[in-house]
Order: sequence, then structure tokens, then C-alpha cells
Amino acid sequence: MENVRKIIENFTCEYVENYKKTWLKAKLSSKDDLLNLSEAIKKEGLRSLSTVSPTDFLEDNIMEMNYFFEDLDTKRNLWLKVDLPRDKEGCKIESLTPLFASANWHEREAFSMFGVQFLNHPDLREIIKSEDFKGVYPFRKDFDWDAHEKNQTQNIQQIVDAFKKEQNENEKDLDPDSSETILNWGPTHPASGPIRLRVHCDGEEVISIDPDIGYVWRALEHLVTKKDFVGAIVAVERLCFMDNINSMVGYCMAVEEIAEVEITPFASWMRVLLGEVARVSSHFMGLGGFFNNMGLHTLGMWNMDTREFFLDFLESYSGARIATASIEPGGVRYGLDMSMFDELQKALDKFDNSVGEVEAVFVKNPTMKLRSDNVGILTKEEVHEFGLSGIVARASGVKTDIRIDEPYAAYGELDLEYITQEKGSAKDRFMMLFLDLKQSVEIIKKAKAHIEKAVADAKMNPTKDHMVKVPKKLPKGEAISRVEWARGEVLMHLVTEEKAKTPYRLKMRAPSFNHTMMLNHLLKGQTLADIPLIFGSLYICQGDLDR
Amino acid sequence: MLKILDFFDYAKSESLWMAHFCTGCCSLEMAAAMGPRYDWERYGYLPTPTPRQADVLMITGLVSKKILPALLRTYAQMPEPKYVVAMGACSFDGGPYNDSLSVIKNPTEILPADVFIAGCPPKPEAIIEGLEQVKQKIKNGEPSAASQGGLWKEMEF
Repeated sequence: MENVRKIIENFTCEYVENYKKTWLKAKLSSKDDLLNLSEAIKKEGLRSLSTVSPTDFLEDNIMEMNYFFEDLDTKRNLWLKVDLPRDKEGCKIESLTPLFASANWHEREAFSMFGVQFLNHPDLREIIKSEDFKGVYPFRKDFDWDAHEKNQTQNIQQIVDAFKKEQNENEKDLDPDSSETILNWGPTHPASGPIRLRVHCDGEEVISIDPDIGYVWRALEHLVTKKDFVGAIVAVERLCFMDNINSMVGYCMAVEEIAEVEITPFASWMRVLLGEVARVSSHFMGLGGFFNNMGLHTLGMWNMDTREFFLDFLESYSGARIATASIEPGGVRYGLDMSMFDELQKALDKFDNSVGEVEAVFVKNPTMKLRSDNVGILTKEEVHEFGLSGIVARASGVKTDIRIDEPYAAYGELDLEYITQEKGSAKDRFMMLFLDLKQSVEIIKKAKAHIEKAVADAKMNPTKDHMVKVPKKLPKGEAISRVEWARGEVLMHLVTEEKAKTPYRLKMRAPSFNHTMMLNHLLKGQTLADIPLIFGSLYICQGDLDR
Repeated sequence: MLKILDFFDYAKSESLWMAHFCTGCCSLEMAAAMGPRYDWERYGYLPTPTPRQADVLMITGLVSKKILPALLRTYAQMPEPKYVVAMGACSFDGGPYNDSLSVIKNPTEILPADVFIAGCPPKPEAIIEGLEQVKQKIKNGEPSAASQGGLWKEMEF
């Protein structure tokens, strides 16, 4: 960390300060230094750029850029800020994509939503937002959404026209005598979900892939600014329905940091327990999806059966199977009736009884191994370069897991170990999912035992300890929080104004965004039949891809 | 003669196939309804990968502006008679995304639904109950709502 600090102090900064245990926070005085500084810290080892998040301060006439650099090996992180003018001519900065490949789509997103121009970006096209927003920047504070929405039919017409134009023109550069063509994979492909891949292929061989995303764009980051701090959890949990608890945990941690509130031990253990239940139910779908994409639906069905028991527990706790809204700033929303653990015990028993069979039939399946062991290989170096996280990174042997790197909730009291695979192939990612699932179930067992013991010893009161009060109005401030989500690292960057009742800005860095960026890289030169397999192995959810 | 027609309606209603098309989060509960515990195949429902073989289009939750043309195109590709089922709060009025202006708040004004299934997301039992109501509608020989009107007829997609 000292080395990083020394490097930064070579440049003129407004401040350099320590932030949390593993973070350094600095603000550059001039945007001209950004490129040189980034190059220097890349050499030092901070090789991944997690995300780029502009914040639009309308009154100060400033666009504040936030860069989050990470070193997945030594767990050193840097939060770098630099101010830009807001106006169209001045809102320009050097692109970091030539240095950090992971910046590519994140800079495109910042360009689409805030109109920040990145100089020397190799491919600065708009992304996520639909065609009717072309040339306007919806997340700027002075953008008039209501005026834009007055004529919905016309907006839809614009989207249709753009699509038709693209379909008419997309093959005009191709040689008509060759077998090259451009295929649309999705958005109605059974394996794709709402995403469209423009596959440029020559017969069976894939030449390049250009994902077209934004089919479930709900502008969540804008939506939360219209809600109060508690109401915002409804939007945050819809980041992705498969694992909604952990995204709420991340958001609530950021709110609690600004409000300077400590949650109770009971609440933090419940966050671990509920978070792992959500992770388990998500991983079940992921494992099933991998085999579904290869054409075998049995594992999906078996997993769905076990998953129902875990959802039963969530239902008994919160009343809802999926949209639980059960994590709130200040703790967890509901108290716990100890009889609810009976449902959880049923789920754990069901898992223990069925996991052996799943392992024997599917995890050790020789046909699966033969098919997927040599496709979609991601090296360690690429994980760093493209800022990948979660099971995708661990499958390539990179030891990264936010639960261990930067423990939150009660994870610090659990003795967790990194689980990794070596090769980084599609099979390894599948194996990783399965091992992660098993680890999660072990964590649930430990958390459950811990809560039961503490309640029996009268150290925790499950009906009263679940919440501490968080003021409705928050002071001016900002915070970041990171959680290990089912798909990888979620980074939340929350900014509040003086006496704020609503978030001023919430940036959600979601892992599927980076993983989808890898599709072109992984599928170049492969065959069409590999698309569903590799797509399935990357464990992508469109919800957090588009937000 | 009347009896033979009744038989066709009966046969149609007992093997409803739906186009496999996810527009939003509710598709997760649709997957649960396919699963072993609820097993909607017992009632004759089956997702099919192509709209050409489908009888029912399910609007699974939110419809964003970008996916609406694809949804309407899928509907247009389905053979008659075809029915529309709207799932979840989003398909009624935008639900939790009501404040978000990139989501369409009136998808069923554009493509009228025969049955609404309430919930966010609806429970699998509710989905099956909703599809049972579609069955009843077919057995009664009622025409589908989308064939009667809706903004989709005036739109280009």
C-alpha cells in the first residue's frame, strides 16, 4: 500500500487518504495526469479496473469521475477521483481502455449515460440504453425524462427503425460470394434470455461476436434516486432475482456507512445466512442452466426440486419466495421465529440426501468433461486484465473472494478458504459452481448453529435484535461497499447530499457486465455450437447486465 | 356439428404450448412452475422454443421499450388461435419499475392480455391457476383479447 501511496504522491493531488482496510482514496488535481498515474499503478500491480462511475454535480457544474482499481492478488485497491467540467466541450478525458481492457464497456456505459467523451477509446459506441436515447444522456441531472417520454409510440418507432436499418445493412460489407453471414442469437433463443448476440460467422466458424444488450434496461441507478433510502431496496434487489439478498446487503452497507450505524451481531449473522441461501438458490439455477444448454434437462429439474426447499425457508421468513425485500439499512427487516429454522433444516437435509447423486451422475459425468474441458479457456492473466470476479475468476485459479478479502457482515468470524480450479475452462467453471454451492451450504449450517447457540445462551434476541434505527435523513457523504454476489463482485458507490432523503447517485458495478465482455474474446474461432455452452458457463444474468 | 367444434376447443385447451420468451424477472417463477414440485406439464403446458408452434404468449413481467418490438414480432409469428397471459405487477402498470421511464407501463394496452396473474413475482400456483383460466376461456369458445383490439394493430414492428 505504501508503494501505491508513493506513486500517487508524485502527482499533484487534492488529497490522498486511507479508506477502509484495503483501500486508498485519492483525488487528482488535473485530468491530464490520469493516464500517467494509471500506467504507474498498473506497473505496481493494480492491474484490474473494476469500474468507472461518473457523478453529475449539477450545482457545482462538475462531472466527478471515479475509478476503482483493484489488485486481485495482493488485495490492494485504489479509489481515484478526478473532476471534469460538465459542458459538452470540456467533458472529455483520456480513455484507459488501451491500458486496462476491462475499462472498455464501463467507459462506453459512462459515455452513454453521462456523455463523458473518452479520447482514444477504440470503440466508443453507445451501450445499454435503447435507440430513442441516441445522442442524449439520460443519467445527467438536467435530463428531462418526462419530456422524453411524452410520445412513447414515437420512441418505440425509433427503436424499430434502428433495428430494421441494422438488419438491412449489417451484411453489406460482406462478400456475397462467401459463406459469411451475420446471425442473431437471441433475444428469443431459449438459452439466451433477453440478450442478442450479433454473430458474424463463416459457416460454422465464429469470426466475431458483438453483444447487443439493454433488453431489460430498467435504469435502476436512476430509479433509486426517486425513492427514499428504504424504498430503494426494492430497486436494488431487482438487480437480479436469482440472488437478490446479497445486492441488498451491499447497498445497506453503504447506507450504514454514511449514517454511521453499526448493526447488531444477530443482524449480521442473519445477513450471512440469508445471503448464502440466496446464493445457493442462484447456483442451483446456474448448474441446471449449464446442462440445459448442453441439452440435458435432468439436472435442472433435480436442482429445481432441492431449490424449492430453500425458497420455502425464505417464504417462511419473509412471506415471499423470491422478492423478499428482507435486508434493510440497519439490519434485517424481520425478526426470527426459531421455528422457521425447521424449514431450513428440511432444506439442508434434502440437500445432503441428494448431493451425492448429483455428484455421481453429473459432476463426474465423462461426456460433460469431454465436451467442455477444452473450450472457453480463460487464463489467470486474462482474469486480471478484464477484471473478472466470482466463480469465473476462481475457476482460473485466481484467489479472489470478497467474503475473505474484505469481510463484511459476519464473514470475518467464519473460517473460510478460497476454493479454486486450475485451468479456467467451461468445465472448471461448472465445477467451481458446484464446489461454491457446497461451501455455501456449509456456511449456512455454521451460521444456523451459531444463531441457535447464541439464542439459547440468551446472547441474541431474535425478535428484537434485528434492527437498529437509521435516521431518515442522511448527512452529505459517499461510500463504497463490495459484496461477493452469486456471480461475482458487486461494487456499490453511493453518494448523498446534505439532509438527503434519497440517494443522489448509486452506481452498481455488476459482474455479468464484465463477463459478457468476454464473449467475443472466448468465442472467436470456435463453432456456433459452442455459443450456448460458453454462454452458460459464464453464468450471466441479464438483470445485472443491463440494470 | 356443434359437438365436433366443442371437441376441437377441448383438444386445444388441454395442450397449451407457450412461446419460450423471457422479457423479465417473472420467468424465474415460470421456471419453478416447470420444475418437479409444480410440474405444469401435468396440465398439458409446455414451453416451445419457436413461436410457430405456440398457442400462448406469456408476458413474463417487465417489458422494456427495447424488447417490445421483439415481443410483438413473436406474437405476430404465432398461428391463430393465440392467447396472451400477462404475469406480474410489471405487465399491469410497471409494478416496482413504475417510476422508471425506460420500462413500458401499459404493455397490456398495447397487447391486451386474456388473463392477468397477480404477484411480484407470481407464485407458481398462481401461474398454473392463470393458465387454467385460459383453458376455460378456450373451452367457452371466447375469442382472445388481443384479436379484438389493442394498440399493437396500429404499430409497426
